[in-house]
Amino acid sequence: MKNLIKTRSFKNILYAIVLIVIAGILIFIKPGNTGDNQLPVKETVVSNNENTSEVTPGSSSGVIKEAKAMPVYGNWRNFTTKDGLPSDKAYTVRIDGDRVLVGTHGGMAVYEKGKWRTYTTEDGLAHNGVVSIDVSRLTGDVWIATFAGLNRWSGGKFETFNQFNSGLPNDLVYNVFCDGKDIWVATGGGAGHYDTFTKEWEIFTEMNAPMHEPWSYAVSAGDGKVWIAAWGGGVIEYTYETKHFRDYVDPDGFMEIDLQPDDGIIHDITTATSYADSILWVSTYFGMSRYDGKNWKGYFKEDSGLASNFINFLRAEGKVVFVCCDNGLSTFDGTTWVTYLKDDNSENGKAIITNGTEKKEVPLSPSIAHNFIIGVDAENDVLWVATSKGVSRGEIIR
Amino acid sequence: MSMNKIYKKISITAGVIIILGAITYPPFHRWSRSHVNYLTATEDHPLNCLSCHLPNQKDGIIAEMVNADYYSPFKLAISDDGKKLFAVAEEGNSLLIIDTEKKKVLDEIPVGIRPHSVVIDNDKNIAYVTNQWSDNVSVIDLNNNSVEYTLKTGNGPAGIELSSDKQFLYVVNSYSSDLSVFDLASGREQKRLTTGNNPTGITMSPDKSKLYITSRRALIAPYGDPVICQLSVVNDNNQRIAEYRDVESAYMMENIAFTPEGDLALIPLIRPKNLVPSIQVERGFIMTNGIGIIEQKPDGRILQLLLDEPNKYYADPFDIEITPDGKRAFVSHGGVDCISVIDLDSLRALIAVTSSEMLDHFSNHLGISTRFVIKRIPTGANPKGMVLSPDGKLLYVAEHLEDRIAVINTESLETVNTIDLGGPRRITVARHGRRLLNSAGHTFQTQYSCFTCHPDTHEDGLVYNMASKDMGRNLTNTQSLRNIGDTPPYKWNGKNQTVYKQDGLRFSTVLTRTEAFSYKELDAITAYIMTGIPNPPNLLHNPAGELTPAQQRGKAIFERTVDFKGNEIPEKNRCVTCHPAPYFTNKQMFDVGTLASSDDSILFDTPHLNNVFASPPYLHDGRAATLEEIWTLYGKTEQHGIVNDLTKIQLNELIEYLKSLRDPAYETKRTEKQLASMSHN
Repeated sequence: MKNLIKTRSFKNILYAIVLIVIAGILIFIKPGNTGDNQLPVKETVVSNNENTSEVTPGSSSGVIKEAKAMPVYGNWRNFTTKDGLPSDKAYTVRIDGDRVLVGTHGGMAVYEKGKWRTYTTEDGLAHNGVVSIDVSRLTGDVWIATFAGLNRWSGGKFETFNQFNSGLPNDLVYNVFCDGKDIWVATGGGAGHYDTFTKEWEIFTEMNAPMHEPWSYAVSAGDGKVWIAAWGGGVIEYTYETKHFRDYVDPDGFMEIDLQPDDGIIHDITTATSYADSILWVSTYFGMSRYDGKNWKGYFKEDSGLASNFINFLRAEGKVVFVCCDNGLSTFDGTTWVTYLKDDNSENGKAIITNGTEKKEVPLSPSIAHNFIIGVDAENDVLWVATSKGVSRGEIIR
Repeated sequence: MSMNKIYKKISITAGVIIILGAITYPPFHRWSRSHVNYLTATEDHPLNCLSCHLPNQKDGIIAEMVNADYYSPFKLAISDDGKKLFAVAEEGNSLLIIDTEKKKVLDEIPVGIRPHSVVIDNDKNIAYVTNQWSDNVSVIDLNNNSVEYTLKTGNGPAGIELSSDKQFLYVVNSYSSDLSVFDLASGREQKRLTTGNNPTGITMSPDKSKLYITSRRALIAPYGDPVICQLSVVNDNNQRIAEYRDVESAYMMENIAFTPEGDLALIPLIRPKNLVPSIQVERGFIMTNGIGIIEQKPDGRILQLLLDEPNKYYADPFDIEITPDGKRAFVSHGGVDCISVIDLDSLRALIAVTSSEMLDHFSNHLGISTRFVIKRIPTGANPKGMVLSPDGKLLYVAEHLEDRIAVINTESLETVNTIDLGGPRRITVARHGRRLLNSAGHTFQTQYSCFTCHPDTHEDGLVYNMASKDMGRNLTNTQSLRNIGDTPPYKWNGKNQTVYKQDGLRFSTVLTRTEAFSYKELDAITAYIMTGIPNPPNLLHNPAGELTPAQQRGKAIFERTVDFKGNEIPEKNRCVTCHPAPYFTNKQMFDVGTLASSDDSILFDTPHLNNVFASPPYLHDGRAATLEEIWTLYGKTEQHGIVNDLTKIQLNELIEYLKSLRDPAYETKRTEKQLASMSHN
C-alpha cells in the first residue's frame, strides 16, 4: 500500500515538474503572451450584455481536437444583489424554459425577460434558505427545498410541506428531485418519497434502508431507479419495481485516500448523484465517481482536469457532467475536461481544457462570479452557475 | 268437542288476554312514553312505534319494502342536434338517454357507482361519464349504447371536459383534489395537476385556451384567517397550471360558465360568515348566496354579487348556464327549488358604472340582486345540473330529488314541460327526509339548508363560531353526517343522545331560527340519517381491504399496549380504547388535552374515524390542519395517545393506517358490488 501511495506521489511530482517546465518555456520564449493572440484564428463573440470573450476555436493541438465535442462556455454574465438577487450566496440554479430559478440564502429569485423577481417567506416560501429546486417535467410544478421545509410552487402559489404538517422526513431539505409523479427529497432526517397520486410519504433511513445514518445530501433518479447520496453511506440505490434497496459503498472503507483505484465509489461521504446517458455520476468531498452499470471509475484533481476534490454538487446532462467544486467548475464528457476558474484579483478567468496529459487554457473575460460553486444547470447553449458570490450565466462559445 | 266448549275456551282466552293487556298496558305505555321521550328529548312526540321502527331499518326485508331506489338525476348534457338529452342518474348508477322531442327515456346504460358528470364527443358519438365512487370514467359508445371501457382516474372523479382538439380528456378528481389528463388515443393518464380543495366543476374558455376548475372547500387555514376558495386555471396547450385564483370569503363553487363573448366567467358560490358569532341570521350572518364574476381581461377582477334578497335567500346555488346570445344566465338553487334568471346586460352595466370599492360593498348587499335578477322560476325538489338546448331556447333542469327533468322556455321563463325518468312514484320516509336535509325551507328566510354545511352529507371543512350562551366561545369544527346514525351522541359536547334530539327543537332554536320540524318531518329526517348515510369507498387509501405493509405497521401501533420503550400504555391512552372498530369510536366522552381557553370546561365526544382522511381540519375546533398536526403540534401532553416515542417513520405509518379506515359497509357483501365497479379495463 505504501508503495502505491509513493508511486502516485511520484507521478504527481513528475507532472508538476513537467508543467513547471512548460510554463517556464511559455514565459521565457513568448513573453507578454495573453493566451489568445498566439492562435492562428481568433473569433470574437459578443454576448447580450456586450461583454466580450475571445475564444480559440482552431488549433492543431490534440487537446483542442478532442475538445471540439465538449462545449466551452464564455460570455459570462454575473448577477449579484446589485442586479436584484436577494443574496449573493446562491445555492442552486434551475433552468425552466424561458426562466431561471435561483435558490439563495435570502430567498428564491426568478430571472425572466431580463428581470429578477424575488420570493421569500412573505410570499409563502417555507424558508428563505433555498438550497435545491427542481421542476416537474410532467406538471410544470416547481419543487423547492429549503432549510425549513419543502414547497410546491405552482400557478403563483406556494404550498408548504414540513415535518409537522406532513410526512416529510425532516424540515432540513437539502435536495429535491422530480421523477414523474414521484417527488424525492434528501433531508437531515432521511430520504423521502412523496407520491403525488396517492399523497403518501415514505421515509428511508438507516432503520429501513442500507444507510449509515439518516442524513442525506442529494437524490436523483432515472430508468426506474433512484440514487440517494447518503452521508457516510455512499450511494443508496432504490428500484421502483422491486421496492428494494442496495448500497454502493467505498470498498476501501471510510478513508480519505482511494487505495484501490476504480474498485467502487471513491468515498462513503457522498454529496450528489446524477444520472444521464446511462451513466451514474457521484460526487464526494474527495473526488468524483462514474458508474456505467458495471464498472466504477474515480476522478481526482491530481490525475484529471477536475477543479478540486471537494465537490459540492454535480449534474449530468446528456454526455456531459457539470461538477461544482470548492475551487472552480469542471465539466467532463468522459474524455475531455473543461474547468472554469476565476482569477483571484480580477473579474477575469480562464477555461482549462484537459485531455489526458494535454492541457490548454482559454482566457475568459469576464469569468464566473466566484470559484466556490454550489449549483449548476445547463440547457441548450446556456449554462447557469450558482456560486457563493452570485450567479453566472455563460453561453457556448464553441 | 261441542260448540259450547269451544266458545268457552275462546271466551276464557280472550278474557285472559284482555286482563293481561289491561295489566301490562299502563307500564308498557309508561315505558314507551319514557322511551320516546328519551329519544326525542320531548314529552309530546306521538307514540307510534311504526313511525320509527319501520322507516329506520337499514337492512333486511322491511328495509327493502319501505325504501325505494331512485334515479336522482344530477348533471346533464345534450347532443349537438338537441335531440338527445343525457342525464347522469346519481343513485341509479346509470346514464339515461332521453328523447327531447318525445320526452321519454330511450335507454338506461349502467355505469359505475355514484356517477357525477357526463361530456359528449359528438364527432365520435362517445359519452364519457365520471363515476365518483368508482374512481373511473365509463367510456360509452353511443352507437350501441354500451360501455366500451373505463379509464382509471384519481379519487372521486366529478367534472369532465374534452380538450379543444378532443384528443385529451380532463377529469376533475374531487376527493384527491387534482386533475387527471388522459391521452384518448392511448387511453393513458398522462399526468395529474394539483387543483384547489375539493374541485368539481370544469369548463373550457370560449377561446379554447384555458380550462377553469372550481373548488367547493376552502383552503385549510387557521380559524380567523379569511376563507379562500381557489379557482384553478389550466393551459389547454401545455396542460399545465396557469394560475390559481383566490376567491375570498366564498366557498362551494360547484360549477362555472363563460359568456359566449368570453368577457366574463360566472360561478355560483356561497359566502359563509363563519368567523363571527352566528347572532344576526336575519342579516345574512350565517350564509349568503351569490355568484362570482371573473373578468376576462388583463388584471381582471373577481367580483361577487349576491343573488339573495333582504327577506328571502336563495340557498345552495349549484349550476349555471348562459344562453348562446349571452343575454341570460340561469342559476339553479338546490336549497330553495328554483332557478334564478340573470340579465347579463344589466349585470355588465352594474359592473361598468360601479367603482371597485362599491362593488366590494355590494358583495354583501342583500338588495343588489334586484338590479340584475329578473325572475325566479320554481322547480321540483333540489334542482342541480342544467343544460341549454343548442339554440338556447330550452333549459333542461335535473330535479335531483324529484326524479324528473324540468323543461323551461328561456323566452317566457316558464316551465313548459317535465320529463319523468320512470323512478318510483312514491316518496319514502327516508326520501322525504333527504329532501328536508337538502331544503332550506325550514331555515329563517331560507338562508341555508343542512346540506349547506354538510355538502354531500359530509362536512364543509369550516369552523364556526356558533352563538351560544357565552358568545364567541366554543368554536365548532363541522362534523360529517356520514355514519352518524350509528355513532351517537352528537355535537362535540355529546349533549344530544339521539338524532331526534339533535334535529329537534334545539336545532330550530340554535340553527334554523324558525319553527321546528314537525314530528312527521323529524321522523323523516331521522329515517334518512338512520337508514345509513354511507361514506364513499376509500379507494385512495384502502381500495380492497388489504392494508399495505406500512398501514399494517401503523395498525400495530394503533392497537399496541406497550410503547417502544417497553412500558405498558395506560388503557385510556391507547388509540384503540377510544377508537375501536367498526366505527372507530367508543361513543364516550373524553379529555384529550385539547381544551382551549375559549372552550367551556367539557369533555369531547369521541369522533368516528372512517374515511377520516377526508375530513380536515381536525380536532373539535379544527386547529389541526392535517392528521399529522394532531400529534406533532397538539399531542405534546400525550393525553391523545402515546406518540412521543414514535419515530417520524412510525408516525407516518400510524397516519397511513388512519387514512386506510373505511366504512364498515364495504366490509360486507356490498363490497362485491363496489369491487365490481372498480374493475378497470
